[in-house]
Amino acid sequence: MVRFENVGMRYGAGPEVLRDVTFVLEAGSFTFLTGLSGAGKTTLLRLMSIAERPTRGLITLFGRDLATAKRSTLPALRRRIGVVFQDFRLLDHLSAFDNVALPLRIAGRKEGEYARDVKELLAWVGLGDRMNAVPPTLSGGEQQRVAIARAVVAKPDLLVADEPTGNVDPEIGARLIRLFAELNRLGTTVLIATHDRNLVESTRAREMRLVDGRLVELRTPRP
Amino acid sequence: MKKRRIMPASKGAAPLDVVIAVMAFLAALALGASLIAQRAADSWSEGLSGKITVQIMPPTSGPARDGLDQETEAALAVLKATPGIAHAAPLSQNEQLKLVQPWLGAEALVADLPLPQLIDADIAPGSEINIADLTVRLKAVVPTAVLDDHSHWIGRLHDLARTLVWSAYGILFLIAVATASTVAFATRAGLDAHNDMVSLLHQMGAQAGFIARAFEGHYFRATLLAAGTGAAFAAVFFLAAGGLESVGYEPVPFLPPLSLKPIELLWLLAVPAAAGLIALITARLSVFAALRAIH
Repeated sequence: MVRFENVGMRYGAGPEVLRDVTFVLEAGSFTFLTGLSGAGKTTLLRLMSIAERPTRGLITLFGRDLATAKRSTLPALRRRIGVVFQDFRLLDHLSAFDNVALPLRIAGRKEGEYARDVKELLAWVGLGDRMNAVPPTLSGGEQQRVAIARAVVAKPDLLVADEPTGNVDPEIGARLIRLFAELNRLGTTVLIATHDRNLVESTRAREMRLVDGRLVELRTPRP
Repeated sequence: MKKRRIMPASKGAAPLDVVIAVMAFLAALALGASLIAQRAADSWSEGLSGKITVQIMPPTSGPARDGLDQETEAALAVLKATPGIAHAAPLSQNEQLKLVQPWLGAEALVADLPLPQLIDADIAPGSEINIADLTVRLKAVVPTAVLDDHSHWIGRLHDLARTLVWSAYGILFLIAVATASTVAFATRAGLDAHNDMVSLLHQMGAQAGFIARAFEGHYFRATLLAAGTGAAFAAVFFLAAGGLESVGYEPVPFLPPLSLKPIELLWLLAVPAAAGLIALITARLSVFAALRAIH
């Protein structure tokens, strides 16, 4: 599903943010990416969601080598990836419903086809009564849940989430993790970047740790 | 639930919309002015072409009036016998006195002056008169006759009208270029402000065409509205000028009427249409350029 081989990344003439990162995410796997702030987690997620090109090394996604993939094929690959951004990146003038429905509109689906799914999903993340609210009127936690719903609504093949439970209380956090687990059970490969040790310890999922841009620790899934 | 546009609707007129409206107003004025100049050029040449004037000098000896009358009759006979002359008539004494009045006054003395006799002749529409041949035949019967087909004046008026029309086109071109640049600049500036949205849609796997459509529609509508407002003000200006002229008020003496006919007013629609099209194309090209800059 995802393969990184000796991937290195630097922004402009700055220092290397990622160094010789090598790993494989099997299809249908559930993985945590941990590490301190500035360790390179967000950069790794950006590379994985085809938002950046690596400075060196090889990235293979869905069996395609990104270095040689035609530019015109990238949008279709990106549509197979759901991304939860650390800063949510919601469109402030669109309602929670329209924000969540955006990936489906981009995929060319008609509102009649997806309205029910979107409403159900919003109800699942606890926003059934806030569907028409615009992001500026939502709390940080509510915005985060809209961002998560948007990332999963199209049932992506790969979900990458950057601190998806950072702004919600533990109860909602546990609910969101169940959502990711459910999605994973249905076949989506999930990678979650987090600081939250409790979250990592609460599951048996694999953990990859980044220290100073190097992937130094791998925890294989516990039985 | 109503599906909202991906691009937010702008609230009120942005300063650049006001600039676009003003530029569209000026462009519509220049367009109207070029139409008026073209019409004036046509009407000037129409007014003078198709007419010839024969001037017969009074005899220097003998009873002036009798001699002049005989020569006038002879010249009239030549003119009337010429194919293509629709109508020929001498000017009356009063009409001639009116012509010289601005220079010589209306004193009784003027009436005694030996004034040349003028004959006005109209050329039938579509007919060609051989002026040289007519001159020869006139001179044969009236040696002092002078034939004037106004070609000198018509030529100069043509030149003036052509200069006016091309000046109007030149100004129209300059204003059109300035308006187009303003629209392009406003569209690019607007897109820069929404760069985060472009990159988000791109990140979510939207094709370039999808993103371009979300933006170009917005800028097309906004520009159409702004330029339409400017052109509407210009139309109101021309209608008001037409209204004043119809009640007899002449804003600028000697110049042709400043009003536009209804069919000419329709030409002003070209201004918002062109502005909207430029916004559409600029938005599309800008989105593609912005996407090329992103991975």
